[in-house]
Amino acid sequence: MYNKEFELLFKLAKDRVEDIEIFLNIGKSFSVRIHRQNVDSFNYADNKGIGIRLIKDGKVGYSYTEEFSENAFSNIIDEAIAGSIYVENTDPVIIAKHPDIDTKLDLYSPGLNNINVDEKIQVAKDLERLALEKDSRVFNVPAASYSDGYKYVRVANSQGLDKEYEANHCVAMVMVLANEGQEKKSGHWYYFGRDFEEIDVAKIADKAVSKAIELLNSSSPTSGEYPVVLSNEMVTSLLATFSGIFSAKNVQEGKSMFRGKIGSQLADSCITLYDDGLFPNGLATSPFDNEGYPSQKTVLIDKGILKNLLHNTVTAGKDNTKSTGNGSRSIKGSLNVSNSNMIIEPGNHSPQDLYKSAGKVIKIVSLQGLHSGANPISGDFSLSAEGLLYENGKRTKSLSNFTLSGNFYQLLMNTKLVGNDFLMSYTACGAPSLLIDKLVISSK
Amino acid sequence: MLTKELSAKVLDAALSNGADFAEIFSENNYNSNIRLYNNMIQQCMAGKDHGAGIRVFYGSTAIYAYTNDFSETALMEAASAVAKAQSGQKIVTIHELNSKDISNIHEVKILPASVSKEAKIDFLKRTNEAARNYSSEVSQVDLTLAERRQEILIANSEGLWVEDTRNYIRAFAIVIAGTGSERQTSTQGPGAFAGYEFIESLDPQRMGAETAHSSVLMLNAKYAPQGQYPVIIDNGFGGVIFHEACGHGLEATSLSRNASIFLGKLGQQVASDKVTAIDDGTLVNKWGSTNIDDEGAVTRRNVLIENGILKSYLIDKVGGLKMDMQPTGNGRRQSYKFPPTSRMTNTYIDAGNDKFDNMVASIDFGLYAKKMGGGSVLPGTGDFNFAVAEGYVIRNGKIAEPVRGATLIGNGAQILNKISMVSDNLELAEGMCGSQSGSVPTTVGQPALKVDEIIVGGRG
Repeated sequence: MYNKEFELLFKLAKDRVEDIEIFLNIGKSFSVRIHRQNVDSFNYADNKGIGIRLIKDGKVGYSYTEEFSENAFSNIIDEAIAGSIYVENTDPVIIAKHPDIDTKLDLYSPGLNNINVDEKIQVAKDLERLALEKDSRVFNVPAASYSDGYKYVRVANSQGLDKEYEANHCVAMVMVLANEGQEKKSGHWYYFGRDFEEIDVAKIADKAVSKAIELLNSSSPTSGEYPVVLSNEMVTSLLATFSGIFSAKNVQEGKSMFRGKIGSQLADSCITLYDDGLFPNGLATSPFDNEGYPSQKTVLIDKGILKNLLHNTVTAGKDNTKSTGNGSRSIKGSLNVSNSNMIIEPGNHSPQDLYKSAGKVIKIVSLQGLHSGANPISGDFSLSAEGLLYENGKRTKSLSNFTLSGNFYQLLMNTKLVGNDFLMSYTACGAPSLLIDKLVISSK
Repeated sequence: MLTKELSAKVLDAALSNGADFAEIFSENNYNSNIRLYNNMIQQCMAGKDHGAGIRVFYGSTAIYAYTNDFSETALMEAASAVAKAQSGQKIVTIHELNSKDISNIHEVKILPASVSKEAKIDFLKRTNEAARNYSSEVSQVDLTLAERRQEILIANSEGLWVEDTRNYIRAFAIVIAGTGSERQTSTQGPGAFAGYEFIESLDPQRMGAETAHSSVLMLNAKYAPQGQYPVIIDNGFGGVIFHEACGHGLEATSLSRNASIFLGKLGQQVASDKVTAIDDGTLVNKWGSTNIDDEGAVTRRNVLIENGILKSYLIDKVGGLKMDMQPTGNGRRQSYKFPPTSRMTNTYIDAGNDKFDNMVASIDFGLYAKKMGGGSVLPGTGDFNFAVAEGYVIRNGKIAEPVRGATLIGNGAQILNKISMVSDNLELAEGMCGSQSGSVPTTVGQPALKVDEIIVGGRG
């Protein structure tokens, strides 16, 4: 798509720059949200943009536009060249014809286009109705929604690379509020995938309701150090928060503790962690990254040993290695490194094995404040939490009004058991539940 | 942007299936930013984006579509999509769009685009030098100078036609101290709804050194003691707690979904009588101000809580329809990609009469939260959490050693009643607030507050 625009941009840049890369992103989306069985909001989105990266006198320049006209294209080339003059960073930028992957990915489901709007609205209505019917303690469903999205990406450069892909997805989500006496608790659950028929509204509503209900009648735990089970969902949240520590860019810039640590034991030997841009049905799965470099699976931690970091072509050049296909940029942004699907490999232990591993175990099922109470550089976190107390393997109490504190680097070292309950979350991180030897619980 | 003629045609198409109301919001943006990192200019980038959003109401149901294609075909397609989403009985057609003049109360003295890149780079370099010279423990300095010029046009089926230009400018500093296994980060991000004169009013030496001071101090601090005890939350960015824990609960977005602890409490005592809270979108050149909101309503000063009594909510058009109340000039959105919802502007707790020194002297053992980090809240329950970016132990009425890693947790409704002292040193601080209609510039603020007890999570 947009052949004419690409040709025009290449023509305008010719003889003015050494190399140019063009990144096109088209997005369309739909969402509907229900409250009290009425349509509360209903949104369509349709947008497109082009970002360019060019090399002029050995320096990198960026610009972007949402207007696709000769005038706008010539402006962004001027802007990018004008900006490049002031750039002092001289890390070599590589614009090249990267190879293709040899597997076929299934990222686009044509069936999703055939679902009519009424069916989509019905999903959200059913989610709200089922959640309210499930338990009398559910007094409100502040969010019941269905959304879907489509994207088309094309990357081409002056070295002859020209690649494209399209992908779509749908999401059904419900959030409930339940109360008992003065106490209110919330719970949410969702489906994401590419198959409308796969949306099981009853299952989603049940899960959201049970997550809120199980936290009612809570008490505060006594402050202290406890063995802690992080539910699979909470492991994916923490992993998404701290995924940047595996970025070679962060390591090179002193924003990760992993500098010079490849080959060292940095996690318990029960942990194997990898990034997989080709993971089947992953939210971040794509045939190539935003530099057009092929996606791949990269083992980061193998049985506790740090094996690799994530690279784009620039960070790889500095470390004298190859890109791992993790070059990322938005239309308006510059080149960075981002994880794709980040996965902790599941183990052999059932969740029950984890709960009965000590006399008292606290299972954490909710964490708030990940964007503020966690320091992605030092690894320190202190987060508002909710959970369940297990005594001798039996659930005895629900817990709230406390914080969970620790350090992500230490958490990797202090993991004792890995569950077999693998969950792939909407953060594009996948993980099983983990038993951590000890974490600090603070309350009154 | 759009002509009156095309706007009227698009509005008519949006109304064609019997909608009660139709609106077009269109914008042109020019963004520019320069980033200094690792002692080098890394990036010097500028670009434009633009688009239009079309919204209709059927009763209190809002339907929204946006496109960044300004062609008549694309706009009519979006109008037709929103029209067809539901149907109604109302017959509304556009007779005339009347240009509404607005008075600009936020003067821009120096257009940022008229200032050379060299001058902007010089500001960043001086800030970088000041931060690095502050201490050898400073290991990284990351600075950005960002500007945004937003031209907006709002037209609706009530005949409104209003245009405005908004200028935002902000400097952002991140300083990392430490090497090896200990790293601490400190940030500062002064911004204004103004021109380049705002950057000229900043002292790069002070900005660099202050940010560095905080990260170096925290690098050498012990972990905060955990437990429940009195806390003094200092002025300025400390106001983020009121913003998150109470402000969001006063927005029609959460009230109309029965997801707020403040529903049905107008006229009632919701806070200690020491507390008066205000949302004021008219403060001259302040980061959260605008002449008009994103629905075309003139912004105003709303007293939210007066001496502990709940006086007003923050209401946008749809929220007003749902709650049968008048909009308050708080309909905001990040861009055309979001339908507007009720949002805060410059929101702060007003100054009181207590003296800071007396507040400290009244505490045997507690925490002085000098700088707050971010936090979040569950609007349905009011439960909040906040990170303390720079804290100190208070011992025997005196500020003692610095501590790090503290998180304050609690409930918005409860904490408002535990504020026992309010100082006279009101200060505002700039931030970005993320919610349903995207990320918008907001100001938080307060004088120093004493909260009698709050749970402090820490590792100490």
